[in-house]
Amino acid sequence: MKDVAFGQYYPARSFLHNLDPRLKILFLIAYIVAIFLAPSTNFYGLAACAFVLILAVIFSRVPVLKVLRAVRGVLFLLVFTALLNVLFHGGETVYWSYGILRITREGIIFSAILALRLMLLVTFSSLLTYTTTPVALTDAIESLLTPLKWIRFPVHELALIMSIALRFIPILSEETDRIKNAQKARGADFEHGGPIAKVRAFVPILIPLLLCAFRRADELGDAMDARCYMGSKNRTKYKKLRFSWRDIIAFFVGAALITGVVLIRIYLGAPL
Amino acid sequence: MRIVAEHLSYIYNARTPFAAKALDDVSLTIEEGEFYGIIGQTGSGKSTFVQHLNGLLRLPSSLKRKKKKKGKGVSPVLRVGEFDLSEKKTDFRALRKHVGMVFQYPEYQLFAETVEKDVAFGLLNFAEKGKKPSDEEVKRAVWEALEAVGLDPKEYAEKSPFELSGGQKRRVAIAGVIVTKPEILVLDEPAAGLDPLGKREVMDLLHKFHGDWCKTVVIVSHDMDEIAENCTRAAVFSEGKVVKEAPPKELFRETEELSSLGLDIPLVAKLCEALKERGVKIECDFTEDGFINAVLGRAALRGKEGQA
Ligand SMILES: Nc1ncnc2c1ncn2[C@@H]1O[C@H](COP(=O)(O)OP(=O)(O)OP(=O)(O)O)[C@@H](O)[C@H]1O
Ligand SMILES: [Mg+2]
Repeated sequence: MKDVAFGQYYPARSFLHNLDPRLKILFLIAYIVAIFLAPSTNFYGLAACAFVLILAVIFSRVPVLKVLRAVRGVLFLLVFTALLNVLFHGGETVYWSYGILRITREGIIFSAILALRLMLLVTFSSLLTYTTTPVALTDAIESLLTPLKWIRFPVHELALIMSIALRFIPILSEETDRIKNAQKARGADFEHGGPIAKVRAFVPILIPLLLCAFRRADELGDAMDARCYMGSKNRTKYKKLRFSWRDIIAFFVGAALITGVVLIRIYLGAPL
Repeated sequence: MRIVAEHLSYIYNARTPFAAKALDDVSLTIEEGEFYGIIGQTGSGKSTFVQHLNGLLRLPSSLKRKKKKKGKGVSPVLRVGEFDLSEKKTDFRALRKHVGMVFQYPEYQLFAETVEKDVAFGLLNFAEKGKKPSDEEVKRAVWEALEAVGLDPKEYAEKSPFELSGGQKRRVAIAGVIVTKPEILVLDEPAAGLDPLGKREVMDLLHKFHGDWCKTVVIVSHDMDEIAENCTRAAVFSEGKVVKEAPPKELFRETEELSSLGLDIPLVAKLCEALKERGVKIECDFTEDGFINAVLGRAALRGKEGQA
């Protein structure tokens, strides 16, 4: 539960941690665009993307092993799609065939590129969550969605709901631990017994937890009323998001990446 | 049952950037029959320590310790009666039957439809397999426990625990722990958030249990008056270490150290101090009765001197 709370935030001081979260989100979008703009017939474009990823990892000061761990979550998907693609893609240079299954040179290259794309995508997005707290992310999303206010979309309220939910996760997880311990001290057993017994064992946790959540929500509502919270009107921010020299550098790196990938697509698009 | 802790350390979220050292080489012995107090500033590790006593927090297993031992000399020990809590195979449920634990704000653990069912929860959990107590037995034990915490079973047994007042809820929660008659009763700030009268009543309850229902009582408290009044001995925690352990009589004689740790001192100790500054030295054990007797004793002495 706690993992959800901090997201996967990895506290450190680094270039990436200090970037404006809005820029990080935009950069991620640009990166995804670059990954898919990169030609799918050779590796030049993806090599440029990988280079940027390596730079980012270095400047994030997040341990490499931790970054790689993000790939582990999608490993199954990766292997599975790669396998399917290798077997079914087809192509001219056939190495092996059996019925409709054919392993071809094109198939191998195609699935390798696909796997590489997925890996880059997952690793880079996880880098965003490693270096940005969930609260900063919500702030950034609110700021980026501000134009939607023109069509009366409740951007601020949405962001508030998100940040309250995020804030409540650690509180409720702590509360769960406490209640669980209290019931364990009274001999409750959550490990043994069949599935039905296990579900039933959770009733003594669930009921106090629900009560606690409602109580907290009430209290929070009262506290907000008491401080005259009125929604988004005329509200100022405690932490103002500001662009700095770092963001300018990052912006140019992103722009260079996209330009580079487009150039590669135009001039180096030849298949291997 | 005797509680022996040696070189106990505990780190929350170990091996992550959020690691927090909560206990640092704690050694304590609590004898059977004591009314033992644990005091210390907020965040000093009191709750962490008492949660070790019934195995809710565990020591590193003995296997790991052997590996570590090569590097460091000492290995942690925690024994409660004949239970060795550093052993992985220890039957923790059996242990918990003997060590009852009342958490901070225990009223938030209530869940059943009626008070009776909630109090019976522990009793049914700890019943040995195949030897389920009969409804009669359960009812008798629950009623006894409710009476013990000062709630009339006839009136409260069938009520929903959620329609009671805060103080009544807390009594129900305490009844739910003592219903199994644990040998050791551990309470984490049992009087927190109650009014002065409620506090007094809870402490009186504990005295009633002590000796009769539960041989040993271990209590975590911020209220120095409570400690001075009730405890046979008390340990002072600071930043995860035990910095002092003594009977209240000695503990509150030197008040400077306690103040420097950010702790309060009992009212009686303050009075003694104030009187001392005015040249009246009073020897007492810092309980209210002790103080009154000592003062009256002196007054009587003065009276006699005056008459002579
Ligand atoms: N679940 C947890 N996760 C991480 N750190 C914790 C956790 N529980 C306690 N700590 C940390 O361990 C230290 C000791 O906490 P503990 O709860 O034992 O203090 P305490 O003496 O009981 O304080 P209080 O008087 O406020 O109840 C604190 O610094 C706290 O921040
Ligand atoms: Mg505590």
